[in-house]
Amino acid sequence: MRKIISLTTFFLILLIPISVAFAQVQTRIRVIEASNVGSSIDPSLRDVQSELKSLSNFTSYRLLKDENLSLSLNRAVDIPVHKGRSLEITLISQRKDMAECRVKIKSEGTDILNTQVRLFSGRTVLIVGPKHGEGLAIIALSARF
Amino acid sequence: MELISRCQQGDPDALKEIFDQYHKKVYRIAYGVVRQREEALDIVQEVFIKLYRSIRNFKGQSKFYTYLYRMAINTAIDHARKMGRSHFSSLDEIEGFQPSDGVEKRPDSILLRKELEERVKTSLEKLPTDQRMALIFREVEGLSYQEMAETMGCSIGTVMSRLHYARKRIQKLLKDYVKEEKRE
Amino acid sequence: MKDSCSVVSRLLEKYFDREMTDEERSLVEAHLLDCQACQDRLRSMEELRDLVKAPVEEAVQNEDFQWIWQKIERGIRLEERHTFWETLQAWLQISPLFQRKVWIPAVAAMTIILLITIPLFFKKTPSLLDQSVIEYVESQTHNVMIYESENKKVTVIWLFEGPAEETPSS
Repeated sequence: MRKIISLTTFFLILLIPISVAFAQVQTRIRVIEASNVGSSIDPSLRDVQSELKSLSNFTSYRLLKDENLSLSLNRAVDIPVHKGRSLEITLISQRKDMAECRVKIKSEGTDILNTQVRLFSGRTVLIVGPKHGEGLAIIALSARF
Repeated sequence: MELISRCQQGDPDALKEIFDQYHKKVYRIAYGVVRQREEALDIVQEVFIKLYRSIRNFKGQSKFYTYLYRMAINTAIDHARKMGRSHFSSLDEIEGFQPSDGVEKRPDSILLRKELEERVKTSLEKLPTDQRMALIFREVEGLSYQEMAETMGCSIGTVMSRLHYARKRIQKLLKDYVKEEKRE
Repeated sequence: MKDSCSVVSRLLEKYFDREMTDEERSLVEAHLLDCQACQDRLRSMEELRDLVKAPVEEAVQNEDFQWIWQKIERGIRLEERHTFWETLQAWLQISPLFQRKVWIPAVAAMTIILLITIPLFFKKTPSLLDQSVIEYVESQTHNVMIYESENKKVTVIWLFEGPAEETPSS
């Protein structure tokens, strides 16, 4: 009986870090500037290169920001993305390999975009636009499980 | 005409050929009205999509370019109306608008150019639609009176009258930038 | 001078726009040699034209239009999705089967019954990957378009300039 109780306690203790880890999701946010200045694509954008090129005929895709965020349930995280704009991301729910997030892009107190997306393993959400100078601003969202 | 009928039958290459032939003209008209690159490009996009949608209705009773130019200028003026709400909206504001003090007044200084462009834009917005069309078609696109009459659906006399009043009004609005006539 | 000035000033715009007969042009050019007022008026018309036209020409020179055609093609592809329904409508109109109006309520009832019962037989729990990526999307300031890449690995939310509300165009 004692053995059973101590083994159970041991496994329960093991589960604590696992559950804490499970309550958080690692998301990757990349801010990209598409323009016709130059003709290169940042190496870290290879996973979305073909989609970026199919969006428009810009010759250059420059990575402005690459951040890994650890999201906890119902806690909004706010990061500046490009001139005068910020992105707010909140983890709404989570399953084995899917995280549902509310994403807002704000500028001067106005919501330019308010969306709820499901981030699956191996899939990326691209938010394209609005215009950024002579080019386009693109935000790539993905999650790791 | 063969190109138009191919386009009406849904030949995608035909629309591309029409685009290659006319996109700069449409852009000139659009930019002439809205005076902003992004807006003008949006207008070009919208015009050719509208054209694709409506080309089956084109019966060939007028020349194709008049059909396209009319579509372009109407689309551009609609855009300008939507944009115009965020810019100067009263004549007082325009007439009180002076080149900035302390800024070098050489015509090629960047700030003065921007102010001038803004002034030209708002002055154009002040013109009645028909006069604005006449001015853009003549001064920007270089259409002849005959071509303008066909595009605008009026007589040559009406074209000349609209052009005359448009020029007169614009000269008044831009009097700080255009030398006044010296009267004997 | 004044009499000829009043005659020529009415013709000056036509002269400026090169819409004159040879005879009229000679008359105007002869007058212009001696009339400063008309010369000044002509000059101010040229300056006005330059103010209106020069920025446009500069913009055209600096613009690369290739990518605009791609956007137009994309817009047209979106338009073409509707034509399937138009084709269906057209087929319904010409089909002899549907010309007898008595068939309509029967077909409608059958369709409704099928629409209710078939999903009950084939209902399956959607896998995670079958679920849509976008739950909802809205913008107060821009138009929004959503599409997926062919391999379904990338979903695009595209923000276009302009107000969110539809406004009628002429």
